[in-house]
Amino acid sequence: MKTILTVDDSPSIRQMLAYVLSSNGYQVIEAGDGEEGLMLAKANRADLVLTDQNMPKMDGIALIKALRALPAYKQVPIMMLTTESSPALKQQGRDAGATGWMVKPFDPEKLLEMLKKILG
Amino acid sequence: MNHVDGHPGASPGLSPTQAKLLALQELVRRAASQVDSAHSEIGETRAILKDAVEQLMPAFTALRNSEKSGELRDSPTAERIRAIRASGPAFSALQFQDISDQLLAHAQVRLQRLLAEVEGVAAALGSSDAEPSKIEALMQMVATANDNLAALDISLVKPVGKAHLGTGDMEFF
Repeated sequence: MKTILTVDDSPSIRQMLAYVLSSNGYQVIEAGDGEEGLMLAKANRADLVLTDQNMPKMDGIALIKALRALPAYKQVPIMMLTTESSPALKQQGRDAGATGWMVKPFDPEKLLEMLKKILG
Repeated sequence: MNHVDGHPGASPGLSPTQAKLLALQELVRRAASQVDSAHSEIGETRAILKDAVEQLMPAFTALRNSEKSGELRDSPTAERIRAIRASGPAFSALQFQDISDQLLAHAQVRLQRLLAEVEGVAAALGSSDAEPSKIEALMQMVATANDNLAALDISLVKPVGKAHLGTGDMEFF
């Protein structure tokens, strides 16, 4: 079973992601901000990380930079799932090492298709 | 409304500076009252939105229930996809509500900070008289309040960057 780490400060979004992902065979680990996400990523081995951008304590791009500095997460796919869609911020995400960018509100079906494409 | 400093109804026995301070105090108190009301109205709007979206969420509730019971998790892939597809509009509605709620909560925090500064200035105005040293202390307080409010945009984490409706795009780098 593949493990997905979801990082979002909105409990509703985390809950929705958990329903969609767990009902489709993924194990889900939830974090409420970048700091907690980093801590949980170190404590577990996630096969993919889905992170929001605007969060307290540590934002999504800072989290990606921190994760990419860890040997265990150099190759792990990291997707941004955010309301932000500015080209400048996307470029920052790309430079930090994001695998891709998905703009909220997300379509559950598209999200599952994307995950299937990445994780097989 | 009281009128001061040479206007009809000005309080007798006050110096022009004291009268100006009183007028300023009244203005600041009224501003604080308006900010407080706006904060409450936003809170009510958040509650109404939450209530509305909860009433419009039978599909999401069905999905949640079937997920909790393990029914959906154990069902064939096609059935799970069908359930997810049927719940798509509910997911979108809940996400829009969530995005709106985050923006409104952000506005409430902004108003709370503004209210705290305005109430502080109102209190200081109430205790001030026309002595130059007290006026100086008051002006210092107003300057600090200005700085605190100017710093709000930096200190408050922006919750949402979206300005339009519609399901989001996806791209791989």
